[in-house]
Amino acid sequence: MNVRRKADLLRVELAEAESSLLAGLLDDFSVLLAEPDHADPVVQRLYPDGYSDDEAASAEYRELVLADLHASRTGRLQQCRAELPPGAGRISLDAEAADRWLRVLNDLRLALGTRLGVTETVELNPAEPAVAIYHWLSAVQDLLVAELMG
Amino acid sequence: MATQTMPAVLPQQEASQQGDELAEADRPWVTIVWNDPVNLMSYVTHVLMKVFGYPKDKATKLMLDVHHKGKAVVSSGPRERMEGDTATLHGYGLWATIQHDS
Repeated sequence: MNVRRKADLLRVELAEAESSLLAGLLDDFSVLLAEPDHADPVVQRLYPDGYSDDEAASAEYRELVLADLHASRTGRLQQCRAELPPGAGRISLDAEAADRWLRVLNDLRLALGTRLGVTETVELNPAEPAVAIYHWLSAVQDLLVAELMG
Repeated sequence: MATQTMPAVLPQQEASQQGDELAEADRPWVTIVWNDPVNLMSYVTHVLMKVFGYPKDKATKLMLDVHHKGKAVVSSGPRERMEGDTATLHGYGLWATIQHDS
């Protein structure tokens, strides 16, 4: 993974292994989003309550925003999946696309982090493949944010 | 949903309760971002700049409040607008809630 800023674009070079890893993660995530199980902690983390102290207001909030949030999240995922090169390759991101990729990468991190039981204090085992992927996604996201902020 | 038995209310108490409700309606609403173990500090700062147009130093200060104090008020105003802000932040994966300003 190599990120370069050229004028208003971020150019992201992906190795073949990185493209195929991302493709697999995005495909798994789209399966999860296709039929969201609201008892799943990942789905609960992606769609939190609007009110911490008011169950009825949270239900109204959900009614108001959930369908839109879900449709937008699915749309971002599909667009990023379509932009991903089939093997090694480059993606050029304008500000809008960079923002969209950051959000999708964040969704992947939220999903993986929730599955791994990430907390402020727990020590993750770096030998575990899912942990290595989680840290890689974090590094990629951090790199993109740093380039965007200049 | 569970139902609660309401105690009988004397007219005098009812009047004062209505007064409280009016005062409550006047209090502004706020959007709060809560600390969570997954979202990166750099990403949270980016989102606050992008969503609210805050300059980098303000966004960074709010992010650090979230990180160190567990939460921060990121916007305030009418309830509908706070629900909009919260939904936008949920779209970015931040853990945000709406509540009455205290």
